[in-house]
Amino acid sequence: MSNDTQDDTPTMKFEVLKAAITDGSALRLGRLAFSGRRTIDTPNYFAVTSRGAIPHITPDNVNNHLHTSGVYMALEDCNRRTPATPPSILPPPRHLHHPVPPPSPHLFHRHPPSLPTILAARRLPAVAAPKGNTNTSISIFTSTGFQTLTPAAYTSALATLRPDIAIPLSDLPPTLPPSAKRALRMSERTDTWLSDFHLPSPVPSTSLFAPILPVPLPLQREYLHTLLLHPTHISGLALYSPSLLPSLLALHPTLAPLPRLDLSAPSTPHAILRLLSLGVDAFVLPFINAVSDAGVAMTFSFPPPSPPTGTQQQQQPLGIDLHAPSHRTSLAPLAEGCTCYACASHHRAYAHHLLSAREMLGWTLLQIHNHAVVARFFAGVREALGHGTFAEGARRFEEGYEAEFPAGTGERPRARGYQTKSEGGRRRRGRG
Amino acid sequence: MWAAKRMASTMSASSAALTFELVAKCSTTRARASIMTLPHGPVNLPMFMPVATQASLKGLTPEQLESTGCRLCLNNTYHLGLKPGQDVLDAVGGAHKLQGWNHNLLTDSGGFQMVSLLTLATITEEGVRFLSPHDGTPMLLTPEHSISLQNSIGSDIMMQLDDVLVTTSPDKVRMREAMERSVRWLDRCIAAHKHPDRQNLFCIIQGGLDLDMRRKCCEAMVARDTPGIAIGGLSGGEAKDDFCKVVGACTQLLPELKPRYVMGIGYPEDLVVSVALGADMFDCVWPTRTARFGNAVTKHGVLNLKREMFAADYGPIEDGCGCLCCRPAAEGGMGITRAFVHHNAAKETAAAHVLTLHNVWYQLQLMRDAREAIIADEFPAFVRAFFGNLYPERQDYPSWAVDALRTVGIDLIED
Repeated sequence: MSNDTQDDTPTMKFEVLKAAITDGSALRLGRLAFSGRRTIDTPNYFAVTSRGAIPHITPDNVNNHLHTSGVYMALEDCNRRTPATPPSILPPPRHLHHPVPPPSPHLFHRHPPSLPTILAARRLPAVAAPKGNTNTSISIFTSTGFQTLTPAAYTSALATLRPDIAIPLSDLPPTLPPSAKRALRMSERTDTWLSDFHLPSPVPSTSLFAPILPVPLPLQREYLHTLLLHPTHISGLALYSPSLLPSLLALHPTLAPLPRLDLSAPSTPHAILRLLSLGVDAFVLPFINAVSDAGVAMTFSFPPPSPPTGTQQQQQPLGIDLHAPSHRTSLAPLAEGCTCYACASHHRAYAHHLLSAREMLGWTLLQIHNHAVVARFFAGVREALGHGTFAEGARRFEEGYEAEFPAGTGERPRARGYQTKSEGGRRRRGRG
Repeated sequence: MWAAKRMASTMSASSAALTFELVAKCSTTRARASIMTLPHGPVNLPMFMPVATQASLKGLTPEQLESTGCRLCLNNTYHLGLKPGQDVLDAVGGAHKLQGWNHNLLTDSGGFQMVSLLTLATITEEGVRFLSPHDGTPMLLTPEHSISLQNSIGSDIMMQLDDVLVTTSPDKVRMREAMERSVRWLDRCIAAHKHPDRQNLFCIIQGGLDLDMRRKCCEAMVARDTPGIAIGGLSGGEAKDDFCKVVGACTQLLPELKPRYVMGIGYPEDLVVSVALGADMFDCVWPTRTARFGNAVTKHGVLNLKREMFAADYGPIEDGCGCLCCRPAAEGGMGITRAFVHHNAAKETAAAHVLTLHNVWYQLQLMRDAREAIIADEFPAFVRAFFGNLYPERQDYPSWAVDALRTVGIDLIED
């Protein structure tokens, strides 16, 4: 946690270390490097923040105990209490003895400066806005309600916040798939906003990852063409529908060297493995927070441990529900063999007690543990890719683990207004 | 000052599971600095003890709590008796093991929660009768049951079950009954206590605001020779003047070589005045509860960081504060800004956690500073500086504090 400054040299470098690992697959090992930040070995993941905080985790614990490679934050989380358009993140200083420090997303989220930050307009997953996007703005959901965000305001926010990676504004409808007519309009708007406002990046140290829209490629042909015209200004691809990746790369092989960031929010490690095979390099994973909120400790690893020889192995669960009464007196770590802070210092009986007493520390410990499990999963994936054993590991993972996480019987933490939109007749999560 | 130090180095007293060593006495007030050694290590007095009601300090990891310098915190017997329950505590091996806390724990008796949280609790000679909050069945908390629970918890300091009555109750007869019953219950607690070799049982002085009754209670309880003594029944809405009179009257009667614990006290002014009156230990949920409402305790008073004026304030929560949150990143801290807390107060739990860390640190540091001042025999100057920071104008000093401090030789107004 040193200073918040960073210089403005264009900084992100992506290097493919090993490509086309198995025949016919786009799997690859890579390295994403930023000046002044931690280097990220890919495949890897970014943690999702809520209002700049990884839910339940204070910045010291992020530094000491969390193994995430970076954070994803949403501009719609940065608004001030008084509604303003555009949302102002760093308003002018009012206390002269504490001048505003050099701009950086770390000023805002207070995570260790070594962690790279991705900024996007909307949370992942985003709450659907009742009012659609227009030709000149998108609808965003802030803690004070729905507001609109123009591409100009977004660009100005990028210049202020200087994230390491920014996802340019895209026109995404609340329900997918859109009609062909709507898909064409999405492509047109996103194209215009990118060309008129976002290119080139307002700050050299911010790398733009161009969104690939979740519509058939022919319907976004013009937009993709714009991307190809600006090879030096587009540093990566942001995929809302990663299944398009193989045909996109077949169509435009010049895009292949760019890092590929998945924004489709897969909900299981099985889904992650499938997306990896399509060639995804990095993920933003909201499911980690959700599994922790459900009181479930993840128990999977990659490659899966070999079953004892000669036994017919049953499928193993992806996690255990620590709210289940069977853990009341268990002194076992949250997951056997785990060395994370939560497992090294505490046991299931405590986690169970905290969940059943609705003490906030329960979710904190689960977050520390679950992020450690996912970080280890990706480390295992990279190692297998290096050794050429990924396909075998992925096959055994698919067979060896159940398809979904256990639901989790515990009460969830209280949900806040900006996290969910209460609709008629539907009750808010938790006791809110 | 030299005399005080020399005297102190020779004064200590031990019981089976507690050693009390008087390090220094203020030459003006009745403030003392001491070391209390408990089964899980020594603690420096005077001290503030944060409250980890359900075996967790409101979102902080035990490691974070440790980073504030805390070596003695509270658990509530009533809550742990309900969750995780006595059978789990026995199976796990006590509350230290349950929460991964290798330092000291203090537990209350559970009686206060019975009366404050539950309606229809009635007190008889046998114990406190109440309806189970789970299923409404009638239950009874006796002195024996409270001690049995606290033995299962394994706290380093256990509190006797007492008959608590709001101090403002006008019913003298009932107040006397409660005081006398508390003495009888103390005897039952002592008899029921299974681990006097590794757990300390403290008595609780009762008697409302009637100083005579308080004195009688002190006399009866001091005769029982518990390793430490608490002054109970306060912080229940009585006038601050009355509170100070009770603390002052009790500390005068209590043996010098035992720790004195004023229960449920937590505002910074109350701590400083109580230390001047000769008290050593305090606990209160206020600093951690108010943190969750976005309030930061600072030497210049309480700041509500939810106010719009802090939205763009990139200074630390408190200038010069040494806590993990306020220390700049270059010094190994988090460099948390008021703007960060403002943005997330009452929204993301992480903001509550950092304020909890800060407020606990503030309270502990206040007592550490007081202790250093006592040892240097500069406590009166410490008290003056403390009130000077809190109230820019002397005429704003609370009169109860001015009056109470006068009784121990500090005049805040004329100096």
